[in-house]
Amino acid sequence: MSDVPPDPDGELIARVGREEPGAIRSLVARKLPRLLALATRMLGDRMEAEDVAQEVFVRIWKQAARWREGEAKFDTWMHRVALNLCYDRLRGQREDPSDDPPDSIDPAALPDARLEARASEAHLRAALAALPSRQREALVLTYYQEMSNVDAAALMGVSVDALESLLTRARRNLRAQLAGSGLSKDKS
Amino acid sequence: MTPERFHQIVAAYGADARRWPEREREDAQAWAREHRSEADAALNDAAGLDAWLASDQIEPPSLELQRRVIDAAPSRRPAARRRWWWSGAAVAGVGLLGGMAGAFAVSFFMLTESPPPIMHDVHESSYLTSSFGGTTADWSGE
Repeated sequence: MSDVPPDPDGELIARVGREEPGAIRSLVARKLPRLLALATRMLGDRMEAEDVAQEVFVRIWKQAARWREGEAKFDTWMHRVALNLCYDRLRGQREDPSDDPPDSIDPAALPDARLEARASEAHLRAALAALPSRQREALVLTYYQEMSNVDAAALMGVSVDALESLLTRARRNLRAQLAGSGLSKDKS
Repeated sequence: MTPERFHQIVAAYGADARRWPEREREDAQAWAREHRSEADAALNDAAGLDAWLASDQIEPPSLELQRRVIDAAPSRRPAARRRWWWSGAAVAGVGLLGGMAGAFAVSFFMLTESPPPIMHDVHESSYLTSSFGGTTADWSGE
């Protein structure tokens, strides 16, 4: 008996490798929202995030028939591919001086609570985009993608201690952004 | 669990114990129960940021994006071959039916070509037996 728990996606990937249409649809339903959320938060751009998600699936379709359980969790491999594609695009953005920073909305100009909530969300997106990329990656993986600290650290190629340091700095930076936004109210 | 470690965990992972390191979760929760006021201060502080983070909702993928992704997936080849086999058989069947229809039509016209002499005979006989037959013969003789 192996101590390694079975990959929760292993059986589905095997069926995708056999090109079963039902398995293909199931995998898209299971992973596309997750990939899109990861890429959107990493890139701060929905269209680019959709391009990344599509590209990840192209690679999944190519690799599925050759996938072997035990070497890595499928979800971890998928995240690694997506993050590499995100970093490729982020490097491209840095080389493009015409790129504007994410928009920030002035809550004072908004008439009701719903718009204020949207302003808060937009400000959060801007704050996430302003984080150093490794801090953002650590936060997105552990908070939004709900990966364990061990899996996230392995995915990022750092120790758990280093991951915690990145997370602590990310939250400190966000707290400062929130405090200076005028949106914080009772939030710290 | 030390107070320092508890604060480190909350500072890194937030107020929700489900996000805390699995190996330390129970100890940290036990420490929080034993040191309620100190723990609550740290947890309330972190919960505000957690709530802000939770407000970020990503719209689900559009149907168009889902379709593009699924369309890029490989289709199962045996099924494709089966479809080709059936469509080939259908073409062959249509061709065979067309050939049979053609043969039938040819045979029909071949059969209907032989009647002219019969028709001619009929016509001729009707002509001969008509009431004008004798009259014409009579005129030709004039």
